[in-house]
Amino acid sequence: MTEAAEGKSVTTLRDLPRAIEPPRDLWPQIEARLDADSPAGATPVAAAGGTRRSTRAPLRWLAAAAMVASLAVGVWIGRSALPGAAAPLLGDFHPASGAMQTAWVSDLRYQREHEALMQSLGAQLAALPPASRAKVLGSLATIHEAKRQLEEALGKDPGNALLQELLVNTYQDEMRVLTDVHEAGTAGRGI
Amino acid sequence: MTLAQVEASPIDWEGALVERARAGDRRAFERLYREHSGRVYGLCLRMTRQPALAEDCTQETFINAWRALARFETRSSLSTWLHRIAVNVALAKRRKDARHEPLPQAEVEEERTESEWTLETPVEVEEIEAAIGSLPEGARDALVLHALYGYSHTEAAQMLGVAEGTCKAQLHRARKLLRERLNVEVG
Repeated sequence: MTEAAEGKSVTTLRDLPRAIEPPRDLWPQIEARLDADSPAGATPVAAAGGTRRSTRAPLRWLAAAAMVASLAVGVWIGRSALPGAAAPLLGDFHPASGAMQTAWVSDLRYQREHEALMQSLGAQLAALPPASRAKVLGSLATIHEAKRQLEEALGKDPGNALLQELLVNTYQDEMRVLTDVHEAGTAGRGI
Repeated sequence: MTLAQVEASPIDWEGALVERARAGDRRAFERLYREHSGRVYGLCLRMTRQPALAEDCTQETFINAWRALARFETRSSLSTWLHRIAVNVALAKRRKDARHEPLPQAEVEEERTESEWTLETPVEVEEIEAAIGSLPEGARDALVLHALYGYSHTEAAQMLGVAEGTCKAQLHRARKLLRERLNVEVG
């Protein structure tokens, strides 16, 4: 049934391969269906009308928390400062494959933009009300902790593509927060 | 939890991907698809015996999973959850087919509930797959879930929507037919 199994003999049915790769990549069609079915911006959680409390391992929590933190800051800025949200600096710059993802953080453009955003962050933060500043700093701290733990895990398992993906997602979350804060400041609308 | 415990704990990358997918991260869901598509397609192919139909079932499984992701209990296995969806999808597709196979009489399989499904002599994978593929639907479904994918009688029966006794009877039937078709003892 599979090429790998050709000519191979087994003595128990449990030794038969459980996985059989589809003859073609089914993801593009699945994604097209999801795009067609879902209203813009709908998420599985939003569709179910609620959220579920995480009870699992810390890395998962951290990765999810980093993303939620970045989203929370985005929503907060959107409500309080940016009625017509501007396009993010990296809006057109999303890695499409694992190989690209691993290269993403060492990309010069990313490094330049990250450095620029970090340099202006102090001034942007100083202009924020204390509560808002605390929220941004809390979000960034969560993201940095997620990055630290994922980098440590990758140190032990450098070839783990899933960890790489989680890490790059976390870098993207950080850039989203930095970009949102930057745009809120440069829009001159005040926060 | 202390930092040492954090560092020692296994990395639940799949759980992290599920959380991200739940929040709408399509890339995380794609990663889950890439991890699980082989097992889901394998199950669908064995249940339907038609590659094109198995592809449809696989796609439908992941689309349904995306829609239901918020209801997924993270303490359970994602693989098992996807398999349940896949079985439902495959059975629903089959119901559209006009053919309805009568269920066998509920003859209870002899006490071999935890059988390893061992073969008296080695048999080529292709030959076994062909023999499994030639089984009647009900017997094949029970065999695939129980003997190949390792689900208990209770789990397989629940997934298939039949009584546990019926599932056991189907397994008994599958064993008997495999024995005949492979011409080896199936223990």
